Amino acid sequence: MSNSSITYLEAIRLAQQKALAEDPRVFIYGQDIGGFGGAFKATKNLAKEFPGRVLDAPISEDAMVGLAIGAAVEGMRPIVEMQFADFSTCGFNQIVNQAATLHYRTGTPCPIVVRLPSGGTPGSGPFHSQSMEAIYAHYPGIVVMTPATVEDAYTMLLEAVALDDPVIFCEHKFLYYHLKSERLPGEALPFGKARITRPGRDATVVAYGAMVHEAVAAAEELSQDGYDIEVVDLRTVRPIDTDTILASVARTGRLLVVGESWPWGGVAAEVISRVATEGFGLLDAPPQRLNAKETPVPYHPALWGTHRPTASSVANSLRQLLEL
Amino acid sequence: MFPSPDSKNLLPIIMPQLGESIAEATIVRAAFAVGDRVEADTDILEVETNKAVMGVTAPCGGILHELTAVTGESYAVGATLGYLEISDEDAERLGLHDAPPPPVEKPKRGKASGASPVDSSKPAKKAVEPTVSGLPVPAHAGGASFLSPRMKARMAELGLHAADLAGVAGSGAGGRVTIDDLERFMQDLERNTISPASSMRVAVADAMRRSWTRPLATVVLPVQLDTLLAHRKRQTIKAGPALYALRALAMGLSEMPATAGRLIGDRLIHPRSIDIGFAVEAEDGVLVPVIRHAEQFPLADLVERYNRLVELARARRLPGSDTGGSIATITNYGVFGLTMATPIPLPEQTLLLGMGAGRITPSWDPEKKAFVPVTEAQFTLSFDHRVLDGGAAGRLLQRVAGLLGTPEEL
Amino acid sequence: MTKSSTAAPDAKGAKGGKKKATPAATKGKGTLGIPGAPVSKELARRAYRTMLEARLLEEKLAALYRSGKIVGGVFLGRGQEALSVALGVHLRRGDVYAPLIRDQAGRLAFGDSILDTLRTYLGSSLGPMRGRDGNIHRGRPSEGYHAMISHLGAMVSTVCGGLMAKRFRGETGAVGATCIGEGGTSTGSFHEGMNMAAVEKLPLVVVVANNQFSYSTPNDRQFACGDLMARAEGYGVTGRRAVGNDLVDCLTVLGEAVAAARAGKGPQLVVADLLRLVGHGEHDDASYIPAALKKSPLGRDCLEIARESLQEHGWLTAKEAADWHAAVEKEVEETASKVLREPAPDPSEEDWNAFSALGRNGEEVR
Repeated sequence: MSNSSITYLEAIRLAQQKALAEDPRVFIYGQDIGGFGGAFKATKNLAKEFPGRVLDAPISEDAMVGLAIGAAVEGMRPIVEMQFADFSTCGFNQIVNQAATLHYRTGTPCPIVVRLPSGGTPGSGPFHSQSMEAIYAHYPGIVVMTPATVEDAYTMLLEAVALDDPVIFCEHKFLYYHLKSERLPGEALPFGKARITRPGRDATVVAYGAMVHEAVAAAEELSQDGYDIEVVDLRTVRPIDTDTILASVARTGRLLVVGESWPWGGVAAEVISRVATEGFGLLDAPPQRLNAKETPVPYHPALWGTHRPTASSVANSLRQLLEL
Repeated sequence: MFPSPDSKNLLPIIMPQLGESIAEATIVRAAFAVGDRVEADTDILEVETNKAVMGVTAPCGGILHELTAVTGESYAVGATLGYLEISDEDAERLGLHDAPPPPVEKPKRGKASGASPVDSSKPAKKAVEPTVSGLPVPAHAGGASFLSPRMKARMAELGLHAADLAGVAGSGAGGRVTIDDLERFMQDLERNTISPASSMRVAVADAMRRSWTRPLATVVLPVQLDTLLAHRKRQTIKAGPALYALRALAMGLSEMPATAGRLIGDRLIHPRSIDIGFAVEAEDGVLVPVIRHAEQFPLADLVERYNRLVELARARRLPGSDTGGSIATITNYGVFGLTMATPIPLPEQTLLLGMGAGRITPSWDPEKKAFVPVTEAQFTLSFDHRVLDGGAAGRLLQRVAGLLGTPEEL
Repeated sequence: MTKSSTAAPDAKGAKGGKKKATPAATKGKGTLGIPGAPVSKELARRAYRTMLEARLLEEKLAALYRSGKIVGGVFLGRGQEALSVALGVHLRRGDVYAPLIRDQAGRLAFGDSILDTLRTYLGSSLGPMRGRDGNIHRGRPSEGYHAMISHLGAMVSTVCGGLMAKRFRGETGAVGATCIGEGGTSTGSFHEGMNMAAVEKLPLVVVVANNQFSYSTPNDRQFACGDLMARAEGYGVTGRRAVGNDLVDCLTVLGEAVAAARAGKGPQLVVADLLRLVGHGEHDDASYIPAALKKSPLGRDCLEIARESLQEHGWLTAKEAADWHAAVEKEVEETASKVLREPAPDPSEEDWNAFSALGRNGEEVR
């Protein structure tokens, strides 16, 4: 494996390569993923390397997921690539009604991974920018992963393949090329465990996916003013690591949750609900959340940059929180 | 439930669930009459839902014993529509006499429900002991005005009240007392001599703290007591000056009961009767026995009751029925030699009548055109300013003074 | 209302007056390259016996429903048993089968049992679904018997997935099969699944039971292509037609279809016209089905046609038919009595966990 710069995208490709190489039960199914290597090149060269196991699918998200479910029932470990997270709504029924219910209803596990190239990039507009994690996390029976680092993208995708439950793997498109690492990790944090990305004592920012990096940048900015901000990376939004969140809030007394998706009924709302319910006595100030504005994701970069939380809007929210 | 030997096997005929969203159905007709033989799986009743007309089927053969359902009436899904008398064999097969299924909820863990709030079998949680002694101070003193859930949690742990933080200078946002401020403050306290407060002290502290959440004010009036004292001297059974004041206040309040009302939200709560308490010092605090319906009894009739209550209070044997529920209190701080004070009414009361020590003082007599010595005391009326203003308080106090000047009317 | 139970056949022999079922002569049997094995006596007898089981079991289910013992719904396949069983008897262990709501006969032929059926309908905690799902949603997916979801068309791609898995593993000879009504063919899911199966040339048999009404909606409000068989060409799959209430014809056509799929001839779409002889569910009196249609050949009861046909072939005696009826009725009765006394699921014993790999409903990593 190359020791030069590895991007987040390359980590995803390498994880799939490793899964295909080590587990004959793994196959990948999705639009344009074969010879073409995928819309984002997440499967580049894999079809050639693993003939017959990296297959182009018709533009049929429902049937793609249905096929994966049927194969998983027969003992396979399918990975489905949605071209964009947004299009997973066309496969929604199979994910939430078939995959999510299968084990509860019948006792037969449904180990599928659905990869969702998620989140916004400038100019992507309403239908190529969405973050779907909250919607899938709502359904019992679905694991939802939101890796924020190159290392996590790699190790968590391998975990997702190994897991006996359906996994929605929200890989962030903005991080595909922006995020680089020198090497791939040998070890991973335990599955379902959040990471303290940056320790601090004045306030906690809980984030996931691309928002972790905005939160870290905001924390750096506030350190100029003498504030010490802790950043917690959820890594998986379901299961959600309530213990780590509460432990962090116990240290800082203040909580800001940042999510790239909409606030209504979202992951931030869930985190705040848990802290308010289980850790009210830890709070020095009302917990805050910062999410995307409540409109479809706008096309123009100027609008998009304001629509979603950024380092500077996170820093502003933190300043307000520290004054409460 | 077990059937008696001569009882019949009566199988309830149940309104089935006739569709996903159907809650009830209407009886269209009965296919059989009571006493008819019904074969298994035949329709006993025809019922109509808003979707269709359907049959209610006999689960086994039998004699139609009773039809409780009435044609044209609607019955909920699961309702008993009648009874089928069935054979012992079918009853056995259908589990007719089986015990009902166990209750649905079978909590495996968690607290036993219905436990009394105080479980005497467990060692009592160490009572909250105030860490600061002395007079209570206002909760809304600067610095302690906002307490975060975290501060509240820590204070509950330490048994502190907001008022305890009045002396702490906050270093947090907007002058808030932070956890660090609190911990430092608590640590500093350890350098002092510390003794536990009595339960009476803690109770008084609690009452005063609660009362002080209201805007309280006091009006003052000098009252000449010579007539009263002369009247008292003439009596064989003598009432104390506080009882005179109590009776006078009762009569004053029966004339203007609104002044004793309590304000709750946007409504005035008027007293049901003129019950007036009086403060009796007992050990480390104050007890307040109550004279019920003080407006209905002349002074002479109250003396014995008053004296008995004083004794009971001093002995700390005051029954619950003789305390609480009063609308005002009399306190005679004059017995401590104090001439004037602004005491705090009980939290549930709007009024507190205070009596200063009587003093002989020169008073101008316009007829004699000379100063003459009179016995005079400062009377104070402390009140909840939300309920009444200085004018109303003043008029009530004037009326009390007037009545004390004509003690034979009391 | 009349009692809708199936009368035991007269042991003295079937009445001769009834019109004999006519196998459709225009189906071009044998022209598709892969002839199925001719319908044998043994196969026909097994199919008939299974139809009888399905019919009598479903009648018991309806009775249990109407006496308040079954909650939710009861959806019967009365009138569709011949088509359903004809698919089920041609499948074998190792095949993948996703039956739909009117496939009690096919389910029993594939290996489902009267016991599992009753346990599921009555919510017994001992059944395969343990009260977590009911009625027609039962299955044992890990044994190739898929448990349908209510969203029509969804099972087509799921069966495709099972077949893909076998292909990846290099297993040959297995087929996948699912059934759907004419209404279900209107869904996007059905279309996606059919197209995908065709692209992958999977050994998939899809049986469309055109029972003329999707719940209450007549075909002219459901599709405009006139003949659903025409869709086979659009998908690039083989189309076949069967007479839906004629067991021998269904066995013949499904035998060919399954054999063709097994032989690698790609997906097979079988369309059969028939009439459901009950409501959509037992809450539905099917008042929207015209009386004339019920009296037409389409409305003839497939169970009667089958019995007459088998007797004419000399494959079944009248006495056997009567004996079978009695035996099946007894088994259904006894099983129902047993299941009625089985424990219901206990909410306090339920683990309330939708995850396989996680505890405490996803809160705890195992």
